[in-house]
Amino acid sequence: MKSILYIFFLLPILFSCQAEKTVTVYPNQVGDIVFDKSKDDPAFKRCMNKDYGIQYYNDSKGYQYNGEKIAIIQALDYLKLSSSQQINGSVTIRFLVNCEGKTGLFRVQQMEENYTEAHFDKEFVEKILDFTKSLNGWLPKEYQGHKIDYYQYLTYKIENGKIAEILP
Amino acid sequence: MPKYFLSLFIVVLYTNLHAQVNCNVIEGENCKKACEIYNGSGIQGSKESQENFDRAIALCPSFSDAYMEKSVPFLKRGDFLTWKIWIDKAVELNPKMHLGYRGWCRYQFLRDYNGAIADIEALEKIYPTGYLGYSANGDYELHIAKALCYSATGQKEKAISIIENQLSKKDHNVGLYDHYQLGVTYFETGKYDKALENFEKHSKVDDFAENIYFRSKVSKVRNKDYLDLKTLALKTYDEGKMMKDGYTHHFNKVYRTQMAEL
Repeated sequence: MKSILYIFFLLPILFSCQAEKTVTVYPNQVGDIVFDKSKDDPAFKRCMNKDYGIQYYNDSKGYQYNGEKIAIIQALDYLKLSSSQQINGSVTIRFLVNCEGKTGLFRVQQMEENYTEAHFDKEFVEKILDFTKSLNGWLPKEYQGHKIDYYQYLTYKIENGKIAEILP
Repeated sequence: MPKYFLSLFIVVLYTNLHAQVNCNVIEGENCKKACEIYNGSGIQGSKESQENFDRAIALCPSFSDAYMEKSVPFLKRGDFLTWKIWIDKAVELNPKMHLGYRGWCRYQFLRDYNGAIADIEALEKIYPTGYLGYSANGDYELHIAKALCYSATGQKEKAISIIENQLSKKDHNVGLYDHYQLGVTYFETGKYDKALENFEKHSKVDDFAENIYFRSKVSKVRNKDYLDLKTLALKTYDEGKMMKDGYTHHFNKVYRTQMAEL
């Protein structure tokens, strides 16, 4: 009975020790995106069976889009997206381009112009996300004749509720 | 296939190296240790490197380089909220060293023109008469970078004045696009003689497609023959001689379709 009581009293200590263990908070690579069934299209597939965390800038060619960045700018201008609110800041959408040039695993970051987290009007952000998802001119990156998956992002700079610039 | 992935890692490694610090000049045992951890931190953006920067910061909380390098992959990968937290700590600890870098990045990655101007002007207060250093990609001296920000916010005359002043300094090393950017700003203010003068100066060093395109534009507004220059601009573009950047797009870059529409 005594030993059972000892164990009972020691349990919280054991748990608190475990809680103090160093738990890494980092993914394998900063910005890695893991499939989330609540957000992501299950039909979208990576071509490389492992996430190697290749970024769009790793080949020093920058981002490669059919018709160059101006094609994205013109497509966006045509839509004339704007918010009903006079917001300022940016919306950044990070995603993966697979070896077929298809995109998926979209993640959104909203930022005020003072670099704090923003919560802009949902409808406007949703339209920006839909626009980003609709872009189908991404060119797969190649290395030694192999087409590879890579991470890309687009930042929409917003001034007074309108998209002023697209980056990078 | 494994060989191929090994090569891929080498490419990633090559584009993700950071500057080394001379740890012999660092004072204090813990800070020396932190410096050594920093120097061997690993591939930029990897879990290993982020953990190493945390260890370095824990050992030597005043070691600003560790905060700065920790911030870099967040910037390059579009997580600007996290980038700003770490780069601000680096600037707070050592503004002399990191203000110029932060200012440049605010311009290059976010087109935060006012933020970039504020940082570069704060740096000028530290070095009121002297050298501010260059942009992280080496393309622009920081006074010129500030001028681009003024130009982007519509203050063209101010931009011209800053660039002219910088170019007149004997110790200024003319940057890759200094005369081109000055030429474009003159063009935008209708000063075509000055614009052409600068485009021609640039063409003697490096005649890239955008520079030729603007010479063609000057000819067009003066009702002169511009088609030969337009054709040359397109040919030069197709040969790959245009404004390029591995991370972002240059200010006053002109795309091929825009050249074709002239």
